[in-house]
Amino acid sequence: MSEKNKWYKLNLGLNRNKKTATTCGCGNSEGNCNSKKEKKLSEQEFYDSAVDASIGDEREKDGFDQVFDVSMDRRSAFKKLTASLLIGAGAISSCTSVIKSDEGKEKAQIDWEEQFKGNYKLMTDEEKEKTVNRLMRSYELRTGKNISMSSKNAEEDVLFGYAFNISKCQGYMNCVSACVEENNQDRKSQKQYIRIHEMKDGEGFNFNTADDNYYHEVPAEGHFYMGTQCFHCDNPPCVEVCPVKATWREDDGIVVVDYDWCVGCRYCMAACPYDGRRFNWTKPEVPEEEINKNQHYLGNRMRKKGVMEKCTFCIQRSRQGQNPACVEACPTGARIFGNLLDPSSTIRWVLENKKVFRLKEDLGTEPKFWYFMD
Amino acid sequence: MKDKHLKYFFLTMLLMVLFSCKKEGEYHSVTDKIKAEQKPYHGKLTSEDLLTGTDLIKITEGEFTFLIPERKGQIKSYECIECHSKPFEKKKNANLKKAHWNIALKHANSDIMNCATCHNENDMNSLKSLTNQKIDINLSYKLCSQCHSSQFNDWKGGAHGKKVAGWTPPRASKTCVNCHNPHSPSFEKRWPVQFNTQKGIERNDGLGH
Repeated sequence: MSEKNKWYKLNLGLNRNKKTATTCGCGNSEGNCNSKKEKKLSEQEFYDSAVDASIGDEREKDGFDQVFDVSMDRRSAFKKLTASLLIGAGAISSCTSVIKSDEGKEKAQIDWEEQFKGNYKLMTDEEKEKTVNRLMRSYELRTGKNISMSSKNAEEDVLFGYAFNISKCQGYMNCVSACVEENNQDRKSQKQYIRIHEMKDGEGFNFNTADDNYYHEVPAEGHFYMGTQCFHCDNPPCVEVCPVKATWREDDGIVVVDYDWCVGCRYCMAACPYDGRRFNWTKPEVPEEEINKNQHYLGNRMRKKGVMEKCTFCIQRSRQGQNPACVEACPTGARIFGNLLDPSSTIRWVLENKKVFRLKEDLGTEPKFWYFMD
Repeated sequence: MKDKHLKYFFLTMLLMVLFSCKKEGEYHSVTDKIKAEQKPYHGKLTSEDLLTGTDLIKITEGEFTFLIPERKGQIKSYECIECHSKPFEKKKNANLKKAHWNIALKHANSDIMNCATCHNENDMNSLKSLTNQKIDINLSYKLCSQCHSSQFNDWKGGAHGKKVAGWTPPRASKTCVNCHNPHSPSFEKRWPVQFNTQKGIERNDGLGH
């Protein structure tokens, strides 16, 4: 009775009769298992049964049936079927597809190579050249338009520095606007690298009560203005915490991000004491006619969803000898940019002759962005 | 027992000391790095390509030598003597039409400044200094520096004003009149160029910081 398996009974196996110990290895206490009663086979009989077990079926089946009528258990059948389906799907979607156009195949080839390229820092110059060419070609295939991307390395004997004159800033925000246009930033979330803070006179640099999104005539009575952005520290905390080494400080002092290596953990965003970093929560969108076509791999090329970005001192401009867009755009000349290692540069004169200071000096981040006043 | 704890303590202290030193080759501050690695820039980058097309003249003021944009070619009605052929006094006739009527002088009050403060009545093509010395219009900064000496010092060094193009040598800086209208030099109040509506929305929802 207890062996009847009623569907509502919870069969925990408690009523199982304990098996009495037997010397038989198969555990069956009652029935015969024939293990003791095996006859001794003669050599010929043994040989015949062995051959029969291994290729018995095949001796009678024809070739077609030998391949298609193989007996196997369900598990290995399933495994083999899924393996072949996956290989087929992979082949169709890759460059070896038979149903894609030439362009589609080239696109797939580029995407494959881009997926498996190494870390940009470890690439040789030719590899950097190749990846930049791939990206340019990929853009051309996708949109039909041409861009020019550079992978220019840091110039020798150059260390970029920046100075901001807080007496001159009147809060016009030309710098913000120029930066957005130059660096192809997402228009939908209105991403801005630069923040201009309006602070009350007499309270000092009080970032808690400062307003960085004002819209009234400037300069407003009783207020003063100053700007912040990534300060390109010489001892950057954001670089130390990156778990995948997707961000680093280049030899000319610019802290850059490799958008293809970043995994989007935002640890650097937490580590930066100056709010220099921005994250792409959504896919960045820039209207086609506003895209800046002069790009640099580490700078203003189009980012994707889920990667960090930040001010790069307009790496596509500064490595060609030009000033960053914010420096060019400021109408009052409050921003100064140059090479810190050149003793005759204007930035060095500012550091040596004006009263300069940096933000959060005690953190030891060594930012390369100084503030001064007239 | 106590000895073991003491040993561990000293071992930890030793390890901390060993690991707290900075990596070799890295500097403790940017200024140390600058002092150690500074070198006058003689690299490949130059501002010359960026400056093609602009007329520049070289000036030397004190210890600084740099380029500034030429001015005479930028003034529409230069040469002034084409109209101002007669000396200043003769032009004070009420019959003649008042020229340059649209130039309002918003620079200093009438106790300090009028047209003749800067413009040279003996040579209308040039300006004049406080001691009646002729100042060429291309070098008009010499005139401004008489009153604005601190801004002049800053401009010579590079802390005041803007560059014509680029950070690389040769240095080409804009002069006073490239940004300031000499008859009305101050910057007017204006509205900011940008307003971030997305930030505004986020702050309203309490998501900002």
